[in-house]
Amino acid sequence: MPVVTIDGLPISVEPDTLIIQAADRAGIEIPRFCYHPDLRPEGNCRMCLVRVKGFARLTPACTTPVADDMVVTTAHADDEVRRASRGVLEFLLINHPLDCPICDQAGECSLQDFYMHPDYGLHHSDVESREKVRKRKAIDLGSVYLDSERCVMCSRCVRFSNEVTGAGELQFVHRGNHVELVAFQDRALRDPYAGNLADLCPVGALTSRDFRFKRRVWFLHHAPSVCAGCSTGCNVRIDYTERGIERVVPRRNPFVNRSWMCDEGRFSYQTVSQLPRVTTPLTREGEDLHPVSWEQALACARGAFSLPRRGEAAVIGSPMATNEALWGLQEYARNMKDPVALEFRSTSADPDVEARLDELLLHADRAPNSRGAMMLGMGASDGLENIAVRAEQGMIDLALILHYPPVVPAGQPDLDRRVTALARLVRHARFSIVLTNADEDWWHAADVILPVASWSEEEGTYTNFNSTTQHVACGQDPPGEVRPAWRALLDLLASVPAARRYGSAQEIFDRGVAAMPAFDGLRFDTLVSRHATVYPPEGRTSYGQEGFAGR
Amino acid sequence: MTKVLSQNAEFADQTTLAGAESRGAYDGLRHALEQSPRDVIQEVAESGLRGRGGAGFPTGRKWGFLQFDPARPPVLLCNGDESEPGTFKDHWLLARDPHLVIEGILIAAHAIRAQDVFLYIRGEYESLLPLLMGALEEARAAGFIGPDVLGTGRCMAITVATGAGAYICGEETGLMESLEGKRAYPRVRPPFPAVRGFAGRPTVVNNVETLANLPWIMRRGAAAFHALGTEDSPGTKLVSLSGCISRPGVYEVPMGYPLSALLENEGGGPLPGRHLKAVIPGGTSVPILTAEEVATVTIDFESMRAVGTLLGSGGMIVFDDTVSMPHALRSISHFYATESCGECTPCREGTGWMAAIVDRLLDGGARKDDLDRLLRIGGNIEGRTICGLGDAAVQPVRSFVLKFRSEFEALLRDTIPRLEPDWQAHGHGPRTARRGAVGEEARRSEAVTGRPTYRW
Ligand SMILES: Cc1cc2nc3c(=O)[nH]c(=O)nc-3n(C[C@H](O)[C@H](O)[C@H](O)COP(=O)(O)O)c2cc1C
Ligand code: SF4
Ligand code: SF4
Ligand code: FES
Repeated sequence: MPVVTIDGLPISVEPDTLIIQAADRAGIEIPRFCYHPDLRPEGNCRMCLVRVKGFARLTPACTTPVADDMVVTTAHADDEVRRASRGVLEFLLINHPLDCPICDQAGECSLQDFYMHPDYGLHHSDVESREKVRKRKAIDLGSVYLDSERCVMCSRCVRFSNEVTGAGELQFVHRGNHVELVAFQDRALRDPYAGNLADLCPVGALTSRDFRFKRRVWFLHHAPSVCAGCSTGCNVRIDYTERGIERVVPRRNPFVNRSWMCDEGRFSYQTVSQLPRVTTPLTREGEDLHPVSWEQALACARGAFSLPRRGEAAVIGSPMATNEALWGLQEYARNMKDPVALEFRSTSADPDVEARLDELLLHADRAPNSRGAMMLGMGASDGLENIAVRAEQGMIDLALILHYPPVVPAGQPDLDRRVTALARLVRHARFSIVLTNADEDWWHAADVILPVASWSEEEGTYTNFNSTTQHVACGQDPPGEVRPAWRALLDLLASVPAARRYGSAQEIFDRGVAAMPAFDGLRFDTLVSRHATVYPPEGRTSYGQEGFAGR
Repeated sequence: MTKVLSQNAEFADQTTLAGAESRGAYDGLRHALEQSPRDVIQEVAESGLRGRGGAGFPTGRKWGFLQFDPARPPVLLCNGDESEPGTFKDHWLLARDPHLVIEGILIAAHAIRAQDVFLYIRGEYESLLPLLMGALEEARAAGFIGPDVLGTGRCMAITVATGAGAYICGEETGLMESLEGKRAYPRVRPPFPAVRGFAGRPTVVNNVETLANLPWIMRRGAAAFHALGTEDSPGTKLVSLSGCISRPGVYEVPMGYPLSALLENEGGGPLPGRHLKAVIPGGTSVPILTAEEVATVTIDFESMRAVGTLLGSGGMIVFDDTVSMPHALRSISHFYATESCGECTPCREGTGWMAAIVDRLLDGGARKDDLDRLLRIGGNIEGRTICGLGDAAVQPVRSFVLKFRSEFEALLRDTIPRLEPDWQAHGHGPRTARRGAVGEEARRSEAVTGRPTYRW
């Protein structure tokens, strides 16, 4: 492997690595605007110029591959490079409106971050604001707003649109310092991935319509998570405050979603926050369901568990559930007398978790954990619809159902089917217990309702379409008396002597889930540490949001 | 003086194939086709021919970089964009001896084994097209172009493309983007065109004049060509002479010819009663020479380099004592500011900034340290851009300011000292009068964008 020396530090990297990537790996900061690890380098901003020994001129670190024995010096160690970086930053600022006080990017803006760095910025302005080239402001492009004056012409957005999604909706017009980014006739972008533009823009030129003026970014708390919108499992970061989730942005994972996510997934947090919730346990008294304490509800449900049974029991999971919750269901089924129908599928066919909706990210399966459910052996019966038929024939004594509505509108057809079957099951089973996060009509015939956490309210794991198991952290407190599903399930089993008693999602994963052959001894800690696919290196400046963890 | 390029240019029928052939046109091509491509490259390398597009890169060496790969056949681009201010020799050649250029193109295409050739003509040269298309049609009918050139089995096709009037389309990678139908944003090198150029194929870009030398070299041999001119700059040079001179025009002179002799003999000296002040020797992108320097240089790559300038395109612009250097610089700086493609930061922002400073030197509102500021900005552009336009924009600014500093300093006499901090300009105090300018600018930009701009 070639060994390149950057600022005196020898770094050994694979051939064809770019200097900037080698530096990132070694934790040496090279400032940049146009470079993005998931776009083809274009080398237009000139912020990353470095000196390579033997080269006549300074060279962009983002377009120059390393070679063996290459000696590179950066702005931290070389006066000329420092002058070059300072010069570029000064150029970028002369026509910038400096409207940080009303700019949404403030706090995560590469211009701000680099200006505050003594090696590149902190200079006095050499121009007066009346001398600046004026451009257009606040152009509404649908999911993003364009403020041309703030644009640094790095072309990340253009390259994203051309290379990543192929939408090709953005282009530069004019020449010289009048160059301006435009969308054709200012029409709203139709790219279903356009929300990414706001993330990848290193400055405040493209900002998210959804997040605009909502919160200053320095008030946000962050939780690494995984999108629940489909079986892709895009890595996301939940940005939340005491008010709840403020936005969801992609987290870079080169193996799953690179730096992107689809807009449906991005805005799925709205579905989650607007969901009508059930926040207290309910039990049946005659015709009606009444709020009760967890203890009362659990006592009632536990009674049903030990009731003598003539027919079948149905334990129904959901592909929206975490592996830990599904494991809880399994544990419940395992401790029951046979026959038990353990199921999460609507029909007897396995869901097609690999069917793609496009060439980029989206999968047709609108649940995050169908693969996990399959790997856990949840599909052991003949499908929910057949079970509902047996219930109607009076063959189901006890039904335990875990249910979540999908987080994206596209999941609706699936949901309708599922809910129809669940309604039949609940109506005809002799006794039914429902664990759910949503207040929905179909379960009004059930006997016990246990309120469980939604996506983002509990820790756990999902397994995506290609069997990658990923950790989701808890992004906000659940409302009311809501409990994580795995805890509610273990609580239900508290009186069963043979049931295992685990105290956390981590314990369930390590001792329960990971013991299943399909999970092959994975460790929860490892999954958590995989959040470390950080770009840029942890603790460094923002570089326009590609990397999220640890900030 | 031996003429390589212009020997037949004065014949009226030279633009027709019959006329041109009567004076030996396409003999060079026949000669080249008898040799292997490798031998042609060898011959051109031995002739010492250097590119006439600006950089003076040895043509044979440039061709030698190509790696032949049948999966990605090489492409030849003939650069007729000729947008360098003060340069009009390619137009002159194409208008007077189109078959010479076509023959040169075909020889080069044979040498690099290119089947596809593009002749890129700047948009403003539209009026050349009928003549050029006629000449190409004649050449095709005579079997010089087509699927089987002169019965050798070689296939060569020439496509004429026009630009839309942007200087940057003359920069070789910008030209490729333009040909591919895109905005002419130059490409970062590496990869170099010889490896990955037009449409991802190995590509050679040569200037019109460069290629027009080839027929002569093929007919007379490398040694004869090398005997012309100087050791390091063999051959002749077409000079576009313009500005304050009695007989402006295109002249072919041997390399090594004294610049002062050109001005006196070919150019007929200064206009009556005027005195030479300065000459830009290679298009506005090269440093200007003072009258004293002009007296010492000869027209070739080394001599120009020795006095700190470049032969460039050979576009020589003469300034006499009536010219105000700041006014001339204003015009030049605005050229670069409007022609910067806007891709890379230093050139995009820096050229506009320099032009604005030159403006305020002339229009009032300059600051005491504006000359140093110009030089400082130039230093932040030079060597830090994607293509050569950034460097080119700096050369006139720096050389004008350094060599004619007194003229610029005279403009600084009545400047207003700058107030710190900046916002005072918009508050009360001595600068209140300027606020009109803010309003004026805002009104203007409203008129352009149809949207209100805000100010504080
Ligand atoms: C901004 C810029 C503009 C240029 N314009 C022209 C041009 O109009 N014509 C030209 O022949 N070369 C032009 N060049 C030089 C070309 O990039 C290229 O070097 C040349 O065509 C090579 O031909 P040669 O080797 O025959 O000289 C320009 C270069 C730059 C940087
Ligand atoms: S809008 Fe943003 S991403 Fe696009 S070119 Fe401008 S600064 Fe770069
Ligand atoms: S130097 Fe100027 S013309 Fe060349 S790529 Fe950069 S901005 Fe464009
Ligand atoms: S030129 Fe390298 S990051 Fe922009």
